[in-house]
Amino acid sequence: MAEKAVKSRKKPKMKYSLKQNLIAYSFILPNFIGFLCLTFVPILFSFILSVCEWDAGNASAITFVGLDNFRAMADDPTFKIATKNTFIYTLGVVPATMILSLLIAMLLNCNIKGRTFFRSVVFFPYVASLVAVGVVWNALFHPSNGPVNQLLAALGVENLPRWAASTTWAMPTLILLTIWKNVGYYTIVYLAALQGVPKELYEASRIDGASPWQRFKNITWPMVTPTTFFVVVMLTIFTFKVFDIMYITTQGGPGRSTQVLVYHIYNKAFISQEYGYASALAMILFVIVLVVTLVQFRVEKKFTDYL
Amino acid sequence: MKKVLAIVLSMVMALGLLAGCGSSSSSASAEAPDGSSKAETESKSDGDVSIRVILWDYSNVSYFKEIFAAFEESHPGMKVDVVEASAAEYDDLIQVKLSSKENYDVVFTKGTPALSALIAKGHMMPLDDFISSDPDFDKTKYAGLVDQLSLDGKVYGIPFRKDNHLLYYNKDLFDAQKVEYPKDGMTMDEFYELAKKMTYGEGADKVYGAHYHVWPGIVSNPAKRTGVYSTLDDTVDSLKPYYETVLKMQDEGLIMDYGELKATNTHYSGVFYNQQVAMMPIGTWYINMLLEHADFNWGVCSLPSVEGLPNEAAAIGGVTPVSIGAYAAHPQEAWELIKFLTGEEGAKILANCGILPGYSCDAVNEIFDSLASKKPGVPENLSKYINIEKHIVEEPMSPTGREVSKINDEEHSLIMTNSISLEDGLKEWDERLAELKK
Repeated sequence: MAEKAVKSRKKPKMKYSLKQNLIAYSFILPNFIGFLCLTFVPILFSFILSVCEWDAGNASAITFVGLDNFRAMADDPTFKIATKNTFIYTLGVVPATMILSLLIAMLLNCNIKGRTFFRSVVFFPYVASLVAVGVVWNALFHPSNGPVNQLLAALGVENLPRWAASTTWAMPTLILLTIWKNVGYYTIVYLAALQGVPKELYEASRIDGASPWQRFKNITWPMVTPTTFFVVVMLTIFTFKVFDIMYITTQGGPGRSTQVLVYHIYNKAFISQEYGYASALAMILFVIVLVVTLVQFRVEKKFTDYL
Repeated sequence: MKKVLAIVLSMVMALGLLAGCGSSSSSASAEAPDGSSKAETESKSDGDVSIRVILWDYSNVSYFKEIFAAFEESHPGMKVDVVEASAAEYDDLIQVKLSSKENYDVVFTKGTPALSALIAKGHMMPLDDFISSDPDFDKTKYAGLVDQLSLDGKVYGIPFRKDNHLLYYNKDLFDAQKVEYPKDGMTMDEFYELAKKMTYGEGADKVYGAHYHVWPGIVSNPAKRTGVYSTLDDTVDSLKPYYETVLKMQDEGLIMDYGELKATNTHYSGVFYNQQVAMMPIGTWYINMLLEHADFNWGVCSLPSVEGLPNEAAAIGGVTPVSIGAYAAHPQEAWELIKFLTGEEGAKILANCGILPGYSCDAVNEIFDSLASKKPGVPENLSKYINIEKHIVEEPMSPTGREVSKINDEEHSLIMTNSISLEDGLKEWDERLAELKK
């Protein structure tokens, strides 16, 4: 109806579409302005700063130094430690979180009693405040009075780990904390994917006499592959940019054992006030995340060909 | 019509967002000048010089208001215009504000590392001309601190507050165990023996002989006090005997475990209030806190050291400097205010709040000694510990002060958690500090 009315008169149509566009743009505008001012411009500025030297004084004090900042990284032992820690953290968190959330999602997808309750329980850590979680974990993993170590002692474990109070165990403690905190969110993502798997596939396979493992291998896993890639990419980006968890629980210590790349960037920018060098570090982080993500997209294409 | 309305509405929303940005960025700068004083400034401003002061904690404490009121009273024609910034972000905020050359006549800084960083960027005015041309100003009243607040031979700050680190002890616990109180000028061995005698009980009732808070300065201050170690000039090797004692005490359970204190974020004040520890080295700011919270008898003595340095030899602690901003509109008036803040009148107001002023004088000593008669449990000889001629700044002025602190924190935590042997830890520590000096 409306289309016909518009077609009959040509001039108002132009005006109408213009109006439509304007309305659309005006709705995008607030968000776009926010993005432009608060995200895009700072990122651009960071790109510029990465080849400059600046101590956050006057803008006129910004001096171009070329690739000096990147060369300086070779002589920065903390950069190496932080990069190593970031990779350890990522390798510790990503596969474990992915596998655990898929397992829990499959359990919660079954017809069990109190399903909604358990789904809420699993999701709860994700919505809990990180500050509160950090305090509770520090208490749980207290080297002498914590319930975790008391349990281990009761089980007859000798040489109890000193968790966040030792350089060996601090990172594993944070990895455990991160997995526990994030599993709930990715479980929900997987649950959504599992519910999208057609029931008929399972019925047909059952008639053909497929075992549970065969059903998982040949139906569930391939059907949720796109979700798995989403989960892995999101988790990888998340673990590379992690900062808050260390800041709240260990402040990068003991020593530098839990200092990750973003923590090092923070220290260089706001403690040492080497904004140029910190921006260069941020560029390295950007490149690492970009490469990892691109590789993951390549792999995804290869594995989801059949879809 | 509806669509026009929609456009207008969304434009308004967009503008609202922009406006929102504007106001939020100005509130992020945490400017919260006290309403009443601001209004007063405006109403009386005709012909008056208004001195802009930037500080933190203004609304939490009474002494700033008292000092400024007394200043305005005695200096007709001068007004104090206060800009209060949030305490947590003060160091970063002041950096940003001075980078954009904002006019602040009087600038407070949280300590020597922050002040050095501002000086390195040229944001502070040297005070030497004011000091040399002003016969009223006597820098000998500041226990040598004025000269220590200098960088490259120029003085940039006058100490508003200072602190001396002392060994606090719980007299009731010592009496109950029939152990003699700690004395001035103990050696580290004597201190260790005393801590051993004062460690008793089990589980939740355990009393620890001593308490070392997690700051590296708690271990290194005794060494700095004896002059064998300064964060800038010396190798950390001279800290070795101090770490040996502390690690031994930690191994034997005479002090609480560093890693556990760190993990549980335990504040030093609580363990002493709760009488869980018999002795604790900490700064003189704790006197004020004990006045409010302690319901037992306590005492103080000088820090133990390897050499057994007597109390009168030196004091060690931090400083709160006050300076003139490089872009000040009224530097001469700012100097007058600083002189007042850090002079006898300001000192008396601070001392009455239980806070140790930078300025030393008999009046301040008397106020501290009179605390014992006002509140039970307070020792009578406090003036002996706040009136020491040679006062050493805990963190000497240096443009890399904040980085040095960070390295100290990291290496201290490695050593205290036994993640590294003491020898290797001190070696790595030295290497990292040397790297920074290059």
